[in-house]
Amino acid sequence: MRLGRYELTLEPRPAPPAIFTALTAVVAILLALALSSFLFLSSHTRLIDAYRAVFSYAFFNPHGVLATVHRSIYLLFCTYAFLVPFRAGLWNIGLPGQVYAGGLAAFAVPFVLRAHDPQTLPLPPGLLIVLMIAAAAAAGAATGGFAGVLRAKLQVNEILVTMMLNSILFWLVAYMIKEGGPFMSATGEGESFGLPSSLHAPLLLGVPVTAALALGVAVLLDLLFAKTALGYRIRAFGENPAAARYGGIIPVALSLLVFLLGGAFAALAGYHYFAAVPGVYKIPGNYGYYGDLGFYGIIAALIARGSSLGAVPIVVLFAGLSVGARFAQGELRLPFGVDYALLGLLMMTFVASHVLYHFRFAWRRIPSEALQSVPTELPEG
Amino acid sequence: MSPPDLAPTEPILAARGITKRFPGVLALDHVDLEIQAGEIHAVLGQNGAGKTTLMNILFGLLQPDEGALYLREQRIRFRSPHDALARGIGMVHQTRRLVSAHTVLENIVLGHPRTRGFLNLRGARLEVEALCNRYGFTVPLGARVWQLSEGERQWVEILKALYRGARILILDEPTAALTPPEVKTLLAGLQTLVRDHGVTVLLVTHKLPIVMAVSHRVTVLRSGRVVARLRTADAAEEVLVQHMIGRDIAFRTTNRSAEMGRPLLQVEQLSAFNDKGLLALRGVSFSLREGEVLGVAGVTGNGQEELAQVLAGLRPAASGRVRLDGRDVTRLSPLQRWRMGVGYVPAERIEVASIAAFSLVENTALNYHFDPAFIRRGLLDNAALEQLTRRIVTTYNVKAPSQYARARHLSGGNLQKLILGRVLSRNPRLLIAHLPTQGLDVEAAAFVRATLVEATAEGAAVLLISEDLDEILTLSDWVAPIYEGRFGAIIPRTEADAETVGAMMAGLGMKEAGVR
Repeated sequence: MRLGRYELTLEPRPAPPAIFTALTAVVAILLALALSSFLFLSSHTRLIDAYRAVFSYAFFNPHGVLATVHRSIYLLFCTYAFLVPFRAGLWNIGLPGQVYAGGLAAFAVPFVLRAHDPQTLPLPPGLLIVLMIAAAAAAGAATGGFAGVLRAKLQVNEILVTMMLNSILFWLVAYMIKEGGPFMSATGEGESFGLPSSLHAPLLLGVPVTAALALGVAVLLDLLFAKTALGYRIRAFGENPAAARYGGIIPVALSLLVFLLGGAFAALAGYHYFAAVPGVYKIPGNYGYYGDLGFYGIIAALIARGSSLGAVPIVVLFAGLSVGARFAQGELRLPFGVDYALLGLLMMTFVASHVLYHFRFAWRRIPSEALQSVPTELPEG
Repeated sequence: MSPPDLAPTEPILAARGITKRFPGVLALDHVDLEIQAGEIHAVLGQNGAGKTTLMNILFGLLQPDEGALYLREQRIRFRSPHDALARGIGMVHQTRRLVSAHTVLENIVLGHPRTRGFLNLRGARLEVEALCNRYGFTVPLGARVWQLSEGERQWVEILKALYRGARILILDEPTAALTPPEVKTLLAGLQTLVRDHGVTVLLVTHKLPIVMAVSHRVTVLRSGRVVARLRTADAAEEVLVQHMIGRDIAFRTTNRSAEMGRPLLQVEQLSAFNDKGLLALRGVSFSLREGEVLGVAGVTGNGQEELAQVLAGLRPAASGRVRLDGRDVTRLSPLQRWRMGVGYVPAERIEVASIAAFSLVENTALNYHFDPAFIRRGLLDNAALEQLTRRIVTTYNVKAPSQYARARHLSGGNLQKLILGRVLSRNPRLLIAHLPTQGLDVEAAAFVRATLVEATAEGAAVLLISEDLDEILTLSDWVAPIYEGRFGAIIPRTEADAETVGAMMAGLGMKEAGVR
């Protein structure tokens, strides 16, 4: 773009320093918060009160902090579910469907074993909980693997398949928990039966064990991609499938594997929210909300550039802001949907910061000779 | 076919004294070309002879450094293809330039000067239908281009040029992607266009049978110069081959011991389909002993890539059998073959043989991530990989800023040396080298060739696939010219000469389906 004697161009930035990465993230967050002021303007509170309400509830209020932690665990598993296939160059858009599959399978274990009555537990509760988690992971893996097989064997687009599976599983859950469905609660309010207290996930420091699992996986996944032969194969396939095949990697097996893993992670997110969060322990009628929330895992994985540990702070921020904004919405009578709007703004500023991370604006003074009109006649010959 | 009056009349289109230089290359050296109205004029030459450059100049895509174009003896200057089209010159490129999701009609009107602003598809349809009726074309105008066969797409391109008013058609390697029946239809159609409608056709090809079948006159290019200008009826095929190949190939025989090892690779009647589903490799048989080099000579696109890929396990064989050490490996995976000592250096260095975003060390791992010696408890042994990479970089003289530089920052020659070094570091017993020196500078190419010879000295069998006859004749023990998926013969090096091999590369002395 030319402005008088100056020219504004977008230039690639040579290797940005590490501190710059952190700095762009901070700027992106501040910018999103500044932009969200417009959302709060319509309410009759001072801006500073609105921000205080969001942050103090999300990160300091005991109830709020717990809600943030639970949501973070949920979002982290969703992030891994997207991240693993993504490193292989494949797009798992089936997070909601795999979340539902995990939830259904987790509740199928006590249902099939007739353990929803606390008096008649057929197996020790610890074993039952492990079975529930395993069943959830297996069901999610099967759902993800279905897309993986179609992709690998028949070159069916994985985005379409996973999207359609989302819809199928959404209605499958509806069938299971609504009028007359097998998992319907006794009171029949469009929810599943509640888990007996002996099947509640054990708590560590007040949070479910799934928290430890989620953080452990963050470390393991980064290690997998950086150090192991399997991680190398996944990355090679993601960067250049033809070269990976040349190097002996079997595309069918690899596509299937990453979708099995991804589906299993998403299903753990489903297990966590429906079967491990205190006060829930059932598939609630608004389960679709959690399915949709899973898509933020995609954003977190993309912003963290495929690093599972890098995704942790981003996920905590997403979780906190959505929890805090929902609280502030009720407390300060802010417009409906302010939590989603805040996440949306954050997403946009993060994406914009990515462009700035790789490129920079450069002002250049145009040399005066270049501004002179060039003779249009070509020389003789 | 009624040959037009071939007495030297005023040419409809002429190029005189055309010279074109690219950095470091003299692509065309004072080339003269004269085309008579109403003839099929063939421009024959090997890859790199300058055919496509000359056609691009005639079509206004390139400007000559010296010389000029004449249309009916009037000097003309094309600043762009628009100018050429305005003067009635149309071009059908070697690669299709159609929008596959659009209909045939939309493709034909796309970019036509009259379609600026509003699109009058109904009016255009009437015009194109009239054009089809006049020329006797049966092209489904409403069909989407992706639904058409390659032959039909070619007709769409021709129709597109005619719709723009072209009276002189330039066709660059028009038969390259066609099946034999499609070739037949195309050639018959071109003859009709010329005979009944006064269109002039300029046919650019390296396939001799096609030249012989349809052209009236032929101009032979070699290394950017016109070496012959003949009436096809007067031209013997052997003479054309001699012109095309040239006799000035210097033989530099390498001194290698004559006694060969035991048979390693046996290939029987091997056939394979290409990506378009056409049979590209049609029953190739040979055997190769340890320490031997079989040079497969041919112009790209005659089944060489399919042969290399089937042997490497990357493409299934349609029929036939491959034995390594007597064991049937036809159905083994690429990984199993790597483990059995098959090494493959593909022609596509960037697309297949390396990963641009990976470091040199990670690229080395591409042939080692499955090797137990480089894996410890599931972890890749980075120290060992680093050491190996350092050894490859030193031994093969790879110039790179560091081992952790990305492969995309390497020049073509250095990347090739890295790939070759990596494959050879596995001590393969069979090395498949496809166009190993293509695009390399003289020094790098010489290094690669020396490396191949060294590998055979250590007992490896080498399948060398190349377009460079000089390279093939220098390095091979056996020479197999390949044309349309078949070996013309397998000739011992001592009996192979450039003319025989060149003739077979151009399709002579072979049964040609579709043309003769």
